[in-house]
Amino acid sequence: MKIALDILQVLMLILGAPLVGAIIARLKARLQRRRGASIWRPYAELFKLLRKEELVPPTASAVFRLAPIVLFGATVCAAGFVPVVHASALLGSRGDFFLLVYMLALGRFFLSLGALDGGSAFGGMGASREALVSSLAEAPFLLGLVSIAVLAARADIAGMVAWTLGQDVFNISAVHILAFTSLAMVALAETGRMPVDNPTTHLELTMIHEGMVLEYSGPSLALIEWASAIKLHAMLALLIALFFPWGMASSGSGWGLTVALLLYCAKTALLMVLLSVIESAVAKLRMYLVPDFLGVASALSALAVIFTIWVKR
Amino acid sequence: MLTASTGALFILLLAALGVAVPLILIASRAQGARRLAIALILTAGFAGCVMAVYGFLGQMAPRLDLSWATPFPFSLAVDRLSAFFLLLVCAVTIPVTIFAAPYFDLHYSERRRNWTWALFSLFVLSMIVVVTAATGFAFLVGWELMTLVSAGLILIEGDSTERRHNVFIYLLMMHVGAAAVAACFFLFLPYSHGLDFGAIRASGAGMPGGIRAVIFLAAFVGFGAKAGLIPLHLWLPRAHPIAPSPVSALMSGIMLKTAVYGFVRFTFDFLGGGPWWSGYVVLVVAAVTGLLGILYAIAENDLKRLLAYSSVENIGIIFLGLGTSLLFLAHGAPLGAALALVAALFHTFNHALFKSLLFLGAGAISNSTHSVNLNELGGLQRRMPLTGAAVLIGCCSIAGLPLFNGFVSEWLTFRSFLAGSALINTKAQIVLPLMVGILALIGGLAAACFVKTFGTAFLGRPRSMGAEHAEEAPLGMRAGLVLLGAGCLALGIFPGLLLRPLVTLAQALLPGAGVPEETLSIARIIPWTAAIVLGTGALVALFKRRERLARTWACGLPGLSSRMEYTSTVFSKPIRFVFARVYRPDRKVEELPADQPYFPVSISYRSVRTTSYERVLYRPFVEIIISLAYRVRRLQTGNIQVYLLYIFLALVSLLTFLRFQR
Repeated sequence: MKIALDILQVLMLILGAPLVGAIIARLKARLQRRRGASIWRPYAELFKLLRKEELVPPTASAVFRLAPIVLFGATVCAAGFVPVVHASALLGSRGDFFLLVYMLALGRFFLSLGALDGGSAFGGMGASREALVSSLAEAPFLLGLVSIAVLAARADIAGMVAWTLGQDVFNISAVHILAFTSLAMVALAETGRMPVDNPTTHLELTMIHEGMVLEYSGPSLALIEWASAIKLHAMLALLIALFFPWGMASSGSGWGLTVALLLYCAKTALLMVLLSVIESAVAKLRMYLVPDFLGVASALSALAVIFTIWVKR
Repeated sequence: MLTASTGALFILLLAALGVAVPLILIASRAQGARRLAIALILTAGFAGCVMAVYGFLGQMAPRLDLSWATPFPFSLAVDRLSAFFLLLVCAVTIPVTIFAAPYFDLHYSERRRNWTWALFSLFVLSMIVVVTAATGFAFLVGWELMTLVSAGLILIEGDSTERRHNVFIYLLMMHVGAAAVAACFFLFLPYSHGLDFGAIRASGAGMPGGIRAVIFLAAFVGFGAKAGLIPLHLWLPRAHPIAPSPVSALMSGIMLKTAVYGFVRFTFDFLGGGPWWSGYVVLVVAAVTGLLGILYAIAENDLKRLLAYSSVENIGIIFLGLGTSLLFLAHGAPLGAALALVAALFHTFNHALFKSLLFLGAGAISNSTHSVNLNELGGLQRRMPLTGAAVLIGCCSIAGLPLFNGFVSEWLTFRSFLAGSALINTKAQIVLPLMVGILALIGGLAAACFVKTFGTAFLGRPRSMGAEHAEEAPLGMRAGLVLLGAGCLALGIFPGLLLRPLVTLAQALLPGAGVPEETLSIARIIPWTAAIVLGTGALVALFKRRERLARTWACGLPGLSSRMEYTSTVFSKPIRFVFARVYRPDRKVEELPADQPYFPVSISYRSVRTTSYERVLYRPFVEIIISLAYRVRRLQTGNIQVYLLYIFLALVSLLTFLRFQR
């Protein structure tokens, strides 16, 4: 029963992922007074790409072909750490957040290699910029999670969520505010959203993620797009689980799960609105301002870790 | 009976490496003789592994006493700590030897080849002596032999002024370190009345705090110089890259680890933990070492120099674990100390595997392309697929990615930082969790560094004729690479193989420590995550059906050339730009002709990273020593009467000293 629920949660993250990206795009379109595409479009696109023939550059080696597969596998594995409607996860009770963060790093490592294997300047450009952003994003990501883990005295994500569930909603400490701010900033950088990266751009001056995937087509491109959608969805779910888990089911009863699911959808919708407002209101940062952005996130998360000393007592 | 047989094995092992191999090689230049010598080294490696296992089980600890033949007590023994490092030395020596056989054949004339093998064998012997020494004399003999033989191996590759200068710096810094190590032993002498390790250990607890602190600092400086802790790392990026690749693999893979061994032996085994501040000192130095090491590594374009700097970074990670362990020990938490020590020792073993793999990979690349400059490589994966696969495993491991061995030890280090939040001491409670951020930054930069390394060397288009016409490495070289790569993968997916013995070892060193729960949980979860990643990957790989080769779009140009591709220099530019304060680049732009700035015929641009260590830290020392030397020179008049006077004065002062001493 429990394992079925855990698998269901992972499937929700994987299968719901394209929808999340599409809704954000739609919300953004509405904010910009456009009609926007249908929210089911990404599914059609994935379906189309998965059936297509793949074009491969003549310089590409096995790494080019392997990269999307590893990226997808690692991202799915990372999604297995995140509780959605129930305070447990497929890998959440044994594995901890370090493993989650480094699973994402594994995928990114291979995607960057695939980009370099294409042999064009754009791939290198994307990989090089991604290297800068991701190497600076790792520290605030982990420190933000560490501050919650120190409070919960647990390192497994399911345990951290269960601890938060046991706390009073109004008992929010400075640590939570600091950690949430820094993790939200990191989430923007990790998933390649504004103001760090522009997911809709195809201009070589600005693109990071898009530069890396430029040479991919067919099923490989579908896997990459899907994996980044899963990553976005998992990051949103992680923020919800760590900071607003209230309403999450703690038993396996059908009624509790239904309420939890509805609440989860509402919370995600709120975050999506927030994200689309940010993306519409903020201009993309100049490449060399991104380290400052992540520096602020690092400082906030370091403060969060320091403040745990006083909050714990 | 069994003790006697393992003792005999010990003698045979030492005799094979130290006497038989050099003698065979000096006596005969036939191919058969060399093959016999290589076979002997390999057998000795296997025998060493067997002895390490016996030593670890502790039932019949191999012991060898040669004191009857030496001026000071000289004995070797294999306890648990020695056994672990003996295993490390021997397990890495075997694949390196397999790789070196075709490599030396291809690169050296017959005469030099024999010398190289003889020194190679002695080098391995010296490292075995260091990690199994049971007396101070044996340790120092091995330590000195290790330095001298490795210097010889560096000089074998060539003999230019620059090379001699680098070797001089290497020898100089090693001897400063050796002096500190010797001082450690002698400081024990008044309390232990002998340099036998057992006596030293027994005296460790009863010594006054001041002496203990001095011993700790001397050990930290002495072994830190050998390990390459910043700012004592100066020799490392000079000496490692200029050695032949298999020797670099031994130096970076194993020789640095003997310093870790020495430090653990002194601080944990002999002293039983340092003063209360020792953990903080080690943590700060290790954090600086790790961060600067990886930042310098990213900026390098010479593959071997890059790997040397990354060794500095990894030594930083190892000492982060050791420092955490000391901190836990100082606060009376042996369980946390055991976790951190296991993390450090696991990373020591991992680094030995993947760094020797990467240095051998660099050897295979230079063998095929005649270059280790990343800007001249590219596209090698299609030309050297097996070498590429092995190096890719090494790069993933060193970047600390899950499913590869480097991740396990970094994860353990992270968890030991996190466990620090449960300490009672407020300072440690704040410092240790914050170190997570430092290690995360190091890890992130390491991932960036090795994306660059593998991406520019093996992927994309070849950037030179050498890379374009590269051929796969010979069989022996591939075999060595594959062995090490398999080791990285095995420990990455099944870390329990090494974790369980390491926990036993940590418990032996830290009395009162239980089994850290984290070591059990990582061993359980990693195979599952591996199954999920590989399973999902295999599933989605089914989607792929047809593929067609198509030229990359070149923005309307006739075609892409390798000059349009990102090079290693460009790849690291954003990071170098952001951390420009660290690099302090010294840029030179020369435009020709100089009088026509708007219509230059040629522009040359040079950017050199300046290390301020030499200017700020080393130059004053050197100047003091030189000025002292000038003053001392005044004593040397060259006049025989003056020297007779010196002798007379020395005699008189000695006699008076003796008179008053009584």
